[in-house]
Amino acid sequence: MSDHLLNDLSLFAPETAITLTLVAAILADLIFRRTPLVVAALVLAGFVVTGLLLLGQTGVNASIFTGMIAVDSFAVFFKTIVVLAGILVVVFSMESGELNSPGRKLGEYYALLCAAALGMMLMAGASNLLMMYIAIELSSLSSYLLSGYTREAPDSSEASLKYLIYGAVSSGLMLYGISLMYGLSGSLDLRAINRALPQVLSGGGAASFTLLIAGVLALAGFGYKISAVPFHFWTPDVYEGAPITITAFLSVASKAGGFAMMIRFFKVTFIDAGAVALPAGTWATLQGFHWVDLVAILAVLSMTIGNLVAVWQNNLKRLLAYSSIAHAGYMLTGVVVLSNQGLAAIMVYFGVYLFMNLGAFYCVMLIADKTGSEDIDEYKGIGGRSPFLAVALAVFLVSLTGLPPTAGFIGKLYLFAALINSGWTWLAIVAALNSVIALYYYVRVFRNMFLRTEEPSSPGITLSWLQNAALVVLLVPTLLLGLYFTPLVQLAQASVRLFGTP
Amino acid sequence: MGSLGSFWNEFSAWLPHVQLAHFLIVSAILFALGIYAIATRRNAIMVLMGVELVLNAANINFIAFSRYSTDMNFDGQVAAIFVIILAAAEAAIGLAIVLNIYHRFQTVNVDEVSSLKE
Amino acid sequence: MITDFGRVLIFLIVGVVFVAGGLIVAWLLRPNRPYPSKLATYECGEVPVGDTRVRFNVRFYVVALIFLIFDVEVVFLFPWAVVYKNLGWFAFIEMLVFLGMLAVGYAYVWRKGDLDWDKPAPKVPRYEKGIGVQETRMTEEEIAV
Repeated sequence: MSDHLLNDLSLFAPETAITLTLVAAILADLIFRRTPLVVAALVLAGFVVTGLLLLGQTGVNASIFTGMIAVDSFAVFFKTIVVLAGILVVVFSMESGELNSPGRKLGEYYALLCAAALGMMLMAGASNLLMMYIAIELSSLSSYLLSGYTREAPDSSEASLKYLIYGAVSSGLMLYGISLMYGLSGSLDLRAINRALPQVLSGGGAASFTLLIAGVLALAGFGYKISAVPFHFWTPDVYEGAPITITAFLSVASKAGGFAMMIRFFKVTFIDAGAVALPAGTWATLQGFHWVDLVAILAVLSMTIGNLVAVWQNNLKRLLAYSSIAHAGYMLTGVVVLSNQGLAAIMVYFGVYLFMNLGAFYCVMLIADKTGSEDIDEYKGIGGRSPFLAVALAVFLVSLTGLPPTAGFIGKLYLFAALINSGWTWLAIVAALNSVIALYYYVRVFRNMFLRTEEPSSPGITLSWLQNAALVVLLVPTLLLGLYFTPLVQLAQASVRLFGTP
Repeated sequence: MGSLGSFWNEFSAWLPHVQLAHFLIVSAILFALGIYAIATRRNAIMVLMGVELVLNAANINFIAFSRYSTDMNFDGQVAAIFVIILAAAEAAIGLAIVLNIYHRFQTVNVDEVSSLKE
Repeated sequence: MITDFGRVLIFLIVGVVFVAGGLIVAWLLRPNRPYPSKLATYECGEVPVGDTRVRFNVRFYVVALIFLIFDVEVVFLFPWAVVYKNLGWFAFIEMLVFLGMLAVGYAYVWRKGDLDWDKPAPKVPRYEKGIGVQETRMTEEEIAV
């Protein structure tokens, strides 16, 4: 038994590393009170070590701690996204004007960032309903505090309150759904539930109706984490009010954890393992539970509402919040196709989304640090004053729209191909139309940056070498993955192939 | 009237023997009360109390299902312990955030805390 | 046969009789000689001061929260203690790790001064004769500190 546990622990090394970083960050904050950069460097090193440990786990396919957590390439992929986002956000935070105002103690900030990242990594691997709930709560509780971190600002306080209220309600609903599912199947383990469900569903209408309610309640928790439409109300306010580094982290890492968990939940729990005569790489859902239609509706609503409301926004941070709702919609379409191709498309999309979305938020942060505003009208003439920054922001926004030759195009291309291959043509058309709306509101930003000039012209924005380096690090993959995307696609396809098999 | 009478007879025969369904009904009532509080109260603390009701409804479910399972299934009881602890953590963080809100806005009314534009 | 709810009913009846009976017997037996300090509200033997509905210092709340967290975390010790014999060293080390993390949290709270009571004294309303009433109110910021 002890050998078994030690083996499990060795597979749990990345999570252990981030936990140790968290503890070390708290202790370092107590020792080096005056120099928050020490804590930042420590946390950065911790994230890098975690990332290296994750790289060592490629190709592993195991289930550890009596089925609580799955360590497979699918989980490792999403954990890597979380860790990369963590590294970049720590770098952003080190020179953020908003966070480094005098008198603020940043030790807690970095420690909470570690806790949130740990929660999201556990979300990516959780294969037990209880573990899922604990992971969600760990990441949510840390995120509530982080989004209210600049607590003397009313916006930030308000963001944390709204995040808390919506988060508490949706995780409560999800827990009730989990309890019903436990009652129906007698287990919290996803595989065991999957084995028990056919018998439950054959029991008659009452049981399958209860299962539907439980599924919808669980969907509330997932939908909140990925900010899909009926559960999205917190997103604009939190994204606008929170410190922008945290907004960037939530928009990528929290979404990655949420998607990984949701896909694992639906893919493992509700597939028909006994279904025969299916083409390779696709699977069937259990009869009597139409969650695919439900998710398709959520996807359409998220895309359309996210994009339509974004058109009316004047604050670029808030606009990016609505755009991230729309992106959740695009990615949800990859779930409904029920094939490995769809999952691989979501993973490719996330690999791309990491760089382009963090990049867009980073540019907004750099500009807001100097001009003190996130208003699109304030962006007039930036193209002339700070060409590099403006071009970088333009590239990220073009990529978010999904135009070639940027990486965003590849992400959308793979999603649409997966949709059309499995007969969801109408969904692909809706998604394509939505990209056109997205182009409309991003063009407004381009026009202000490059075609308008500000009357009393102000000095350009100078960046430190670290900020320039971070921008380049984000810019290169956004362009490169648009031209040379084979490795990412192969990685995604290889990761998906083993997923769902024990 | 006859059907009501027979319903009452059945009900009074069913009620005294406590089974799984009794617990589920209590939990469903608690869940509904929690949702009602969340939907109608505008005071942030009241909303959080509604959430606590929902969590405890789920806890009753977990423990009842565990107790009446045929195979001595303790997963539910373990889940209940974890939920209690997470609920405490959530309450602590929630109250800290609400206190901070009170200092900024002089109110804990969810509707009035809206400086961010709709 | 006594049903499940029958037992609950018996329990309730016994509870009510126990309390009410005690009060009634005491009321019958005791001498009745009231005087003011006997009728006053009991406040740990002190002379009662002020209204019941006073606002408590916000620092009580911080201490209460910290107590709540540490108190509830200890729940994990009970199931651990029950199965400790079967699990042996591994469980022991695991619990040490858990308690170690709690200790780090405790050290953090302690060092950050959230357990200290002697923080900046709040300014009290001040009255000066002759000039009229000058009131220095605590600003919200000062309470927040």
